[in-house]
Amino acid sequence: MTEIIVVTSGKGGVGKTTTSASLAVGLAKRGRKVAVIDFDVGLRNLDLIMGCERRVVYDFVNVIQNECTIKQALIKDKRYENLFVLAASQTRDKDALTREGVERVLDELREADFDYVVCDSPAGIEKGAFLAMYFADRAIVVVNPEVSSVRDSDRILGLLASKTRHAEVGTRRVEQHLLLTRYNPERVARGDMMSIADVEEILGLEILGVVPESESVLAGSNAGTPVILDNESPAGQAYDDAVGRLLGDSLPMRFTEAQKKGFLSRLFGA
Amino acid sequence: MRVRNRPNSSVEPEAGGTEPLDLLTPQSAAVSAGELRFAQLGIAQFALRSGDPATVHAEIAARVAAAPALLTRAPVVLDVSALDPTPDTAQMQALIEAVRSAGLLPVGLTHGTVNEEALARALELPLFARFRASSDLPAAAAVERKPAAAPRAAPVVGTGSSVGMHHALPVRSGQQVYARQRDLILTAMVGNGAEVIADGSIHVYGTLRGRALAGASGDATARIYCQNFQAELISIAGQYRVFEEHSPDLHGKPVQAWLDDDKLRIAPLA
Repeated sequence: MTEIIVVTSGKGGVGKTTTSASLAVGLAKRGRKVAVIDFDVGLRNLDLIMGCERRVVYDFVNVIQNECTIKQALIKDKRYENLFVLAASQTRDKDALTREGVERVLDELREADFDYVVCDSPAGIEKGAFLAMYFADRAIVVVNPEVSSVRDSDRILGLLASKTRHAEVGTRRVEQHLLLTRYNPERVARGDMMSIADVEEILGLEILGVVPESESVLAGSNAGTPVILDNESPAGQAYDDAVGRLLGDSLPMRFTEAQKKGFLSRLFGA
Repeated sequence: MRVRNRPNSSVEPEAGGTEPLDLLTPQSAAVSAGELRFAQLGIAQFALRSGDPATVHAEIAARVAAAPALLTRAPVVLDVSALDPTPDTAQMQALIEAVRSAGLLPVGLTHGTVNEEALARALELPLFARFRASSDLPAAAAVERKPAAAPRAAPVVGTGSSVGMHHALPVRSGQQVYARQRDLILTAMVGNGAEVIADGSIHVYGTLRGRALAGASGDATARIYCQNFQAELISIAGQYRVFEEHSPDLHGKPVQAWLDDDKLRIAPLA
């Protein structure tokens, strides 16, 4: 059974692509066969984060328009042989995506025995985002602890409950998860950032994971190494925990409390 | 590989790139005379209770004067189902002229009986599905009518039963839930930017952050109850109030709202 997971948010810049890349790697690390698709046609980014931008020959739009086969377009990851990237087209726009085309690509991935297809949604609620979520079995809504991101996530959760194939057919619901990213416990403690409880209460959903704001995310993006591969970084470990929870592990939340300043750092004001 | 650097803003529909949701746009013709689309538009409806043009004119003119920004030249659909007998063509023309001269623009009739259909055809006006079948109002409204009233068209919905509409899923930003001619009972939260509407009362067993509009068809006895009041706006029979700042004695508390002689009152539930 292939499970289709959409990573979405409504708002831009909250960490969808970072999350898609780390989720795909985390699942592949656990031995699953994974394809990750960039739905952001025209603003191709996922290949950069995955570190395969120089190997993109064919892309998602080529496959949809029958200009190549899905096999030709899937880029095999250098770290995990069971992980594949389907890049977006940089030179086209989102109108190049069609519902039939997306469905056909997903069906071909099903036939190729993929365990998971991760759909990296563009920001917004227009066509690209709609098609990324339409066929999903599961959704990870990436949210920042900030009012506009929470509002947009609420809108996206509403669309997931009404504008997806599962919702239209009515046989089952899209499973919804919240992933809180760019969390800064110190700022929450100071009261200038929303807390986990605030976000959970407003959205009425439990949080799958909390990824702390971390410099290693940017460093990893620039190096083409998804942050989940950085075992030293709290963000990488938090992503790994979240993937574990998605697969049913019960793991305690980490990196959600403000660090108590030690005597020395207090002394030197670090 | 085929040429992929096609310009983004091509006017011609690209092969295989036609929008699948837009079934009404001719796909073969390069140039079409227009686009046929179905949209849901909000439109006012005026239920005529009097067949006298002068009375109708005075009534509407007063309403337009009370809310000129909202009502001046607003399109309106006329509901003649309360008039017995159904007015003839000449009388209807006079009534339409009365409505028009009072400031509203009649655009059609609501669909009901065969007589209404014939009348619409004679006047070359479109028929609209009735938003609210006034023929199946509860007993209180029926008393006002003459007991000798002729049998009316079969009710569209509702049986006069007092069981309200139950909604168990969260109503999220951008979503709308409407209970036609009934109470609306919600056993989940209503998010910011969401709208819950009922012709009867609204009961929210959860947090109300969005908008709640009870008595949407003018029933001033409708009430709004909620367990945790943080609403953006509440309205009963058109009397509304927005909450830019919540007073501490209401915010987050169980609250009810009702109309007291056309004044909207809100108080904590004891």
